[in-house]
Amino acid sequence: MNFPGTIRRVRSSLFAALFVLFSSVALAGHDNIEVDPALKRYAGQITELGMPDAKGDVYSFRAKRIRAETEFDRDELRGWRLTLLAGKRFANVFEVRSNTGDEIVVTAAKGPLNGIAVKDVFVVENIPPDASRP
Amino acid sequence: MRCAIGLCLALCAAAALAQTRTPAETVDAFHAALRNKDTAGALSLLDRGLVVYEFGVVDPTVEAYGLRHLPFDMDVAVATQWKLESRRSGGEGGERWVLSTYRVTGKQADGTAIDQMTLETAILRRSGGLFRIVHLHWSTSDAAFQARAQGQRSQEPAR
Repeated sequence: MNFPGTIRRVRSSLFAALFVLFSSVALAGHDNIEVDPALKRYAGQITELGMPDAKGDVYSFRAKRIRAETEFDRDELRGWRLTLLAGKRFANVFEVRSNTGDEIVVTAAKGPLNGIAVKDVFVVENIPPDASRP
Repeated sequence: MRCAIGLCLALCAAAALAQTRTPAETVDAFHAALRNKDTAGALSLLDRGLVVYEFGVVDPTVEAYGLRHLPFDMDVAVATQWKLESRRSGGEGGERWVLSTYRVTGKQADGTAIDQMTLETAILRRSGGLFRIVHLHWSTSDAAFQARAQGQRSQEPAR
């Protein structure tokens, strides 16, 4: 019996089962109520950190969209609010300066992205960064 | 000089007091942040150990909730009115609970009226001098939805 092959198959089946499970979980929320989105938004995950500038500060990263087949349109996120949903910069807000299909650059207005890490997840929302604050 | 230092200390104390919310005020601030489309503000009121139970579904981490359900909760908060109907709170020390019922009204995207009771259990933990929500559990008086959600759950594999 080929144990490593069996283990790989079992592991693949487990991952597939978990994917199906969490895909169904994602349907919840206050889902008994169907309303229009309050904001246009995309969720993403950091795949690579940008090069630090001369001071060692990071203002960009590469990313992939979550639950989406397509990349970002170039500069469609300009001026949008970016909020980290995980990691050391959890709940920190930035403003997008520019973007390509898989790279996001933030302005210096909210400081550098120092502390972010690959696999951190974030949301970009079509609203100015300070619009919600009193 | 002493007068200036005293004034400074008094101002600092007043500022600190203003930032210290009761557990119930923290829950209200969370709902207000959702209504104001303030993602970071809402996240900042959540403990990093947050677990959410929502209509039979689990968000096991604050990251999972922020990624999957907080956006929908924000959409609902913006599109509806939540009137606090009743509230009880308790606990002691750094662990508190707040039980709330809300009458939720508004219109769905298709124009259908929304009028239901939402029940909320919030458990809060004090960390860094502030109360943050470490657990939320929501359910609704919408019997049709509850039945639908529970039917879906019965088809899921046991966890």
